[in-house]
Amino acid sequence: MAEMNLSDPGGKSHGRKKKRSKKASTRVDLTAMVDLGFLLITFFILATTFNKPKTMEVNKPAKEDKPEKEPPIKMSKTVNFMMGNNNKVYWYVSPDAIDANTTIELDSVDYSPNGLRKIIKRRQSEVQAQWGDKDLLFVMIKPLPGSKLKNTVDMLDEMNINNVTRYAILEPNDPIDSLIAIRVGQSRK
Amino acid sequence: MPKVKIPRRSTTVDMTAMCDVAFLLLTFFILTTKFRAKEVVAIDIPSSSAQIPIPDRDILMLQISPDGKVFFGLDDQPTRLKLLDRLASEYKFPLSDKQKDAFRTLEIWGMDINQLPKFLDLSPEQRTTAPQAGLTLDTLGGGHQLEDLILFSRQENNNLRIAIKGDKTTEYKAFAQVIQALQNRKVNRFNIITSARTAKE
Repeated sequence: MAEMNLSDPGGKSHGRKKKRSKKASTRVDLTAMVDLGFLLITFFILATTFNKPKTMEVNKPAKEDKPEKEPPIKMSKTVNFMMGNNNKVYWYVSPDAIDANTTIELDSVDYSPNGLRKIIKRRQSEVQAQWGDKDLLFVMIKPLPGSKLKNTVDMLDEMNINNVTRYAILEPNDPIDSLIAIRVGQSRK
Repeated sequence: MPKVKIPRRSTTVDMTAMCDVAFLLLTFFILTTKFRAKEVVAIDIPSSSAQIPIPDRDILMLQISPDGKVFFGLDDQPTRLKLLDRLASEYKFPLSDKQKDAFRTLEIWGMDINQLPKFLDLSPEQRTTAPQAGLTLDTLGGGHQLEDLILFSRQENNNLRIAIKGDKTTEYKAFAQVIQALQNRKVNRFNIITSARTAKE
């Protein structure tokens, strides 16, 4: 393959056979070159970043100097998720109107499909039943100080997976939130 | 009996094809490779099902270490230089060509801007090992350096996209501080860098 026939200059034919010129083999030993090639390949394989990281786009509402008065959302369309430490989510639904006899059920779940996703799905179907459109569900995400970035990413991811179109990351400023934060021992310092 | 002559076979193998393959692969890797950026802190990014690939250029990277330190990186060298000139004039420190050159190759850094010239005077080896305290995030005392960096970089290159790379265990508080700084500079769209995983079923 890597050979060439170098014929002698002035090849004359005589006799019964064609004159065979003396062949100087041009075959080069490629072993060293292959070695070098693979060495470089190894280097590039190791130096390269293979799976390019993905990104998750986050859009925050623009801060307006004069916030427009928006009618408050009906609480029965919402669900509150408070991200606590140790990968726990505390969730509750506040009632539309609060009086002295109001009780709020607080429960904690984890970020697994059986925990958080089930709650979102359940709330979606409840909103669907009450308001006729599951996209009306408004999720309020409230990170407590102990929660980690992973929790935020998981939560936003869950919004994507469940096609929740309306959600917001809020400060846990609600009086109910403060009570819960104290109750779970993560009040804001 | 006559001796049986066993013809000697050559043991050399034709390497040409192998060589071709090796160099073909080599070319592929050279062309596709993007070198892993030097890391000042090890950051283990969270995973998500997001599928948007990170853009190739014009990225302003904000890294948040697990203990809440913030580091700043620009991928574009001309913008880096423009940013440094801008910082020198705003923070009033003199700059030598050597310092500029050092900054040009500085992929990611995090320290008080006033300490930057001293850091740039170090030798390249010292620079990789010198401890970095993270950007000064203190909102008290007027100058919020992270906000300045965001503002100046975006003024020098308005195609910049902002990417936040945080560790899994970074507390939300540190993340919120960065977002706050971004929003104060009217950046409401940014990307969180995550590694890919399939949607949990």
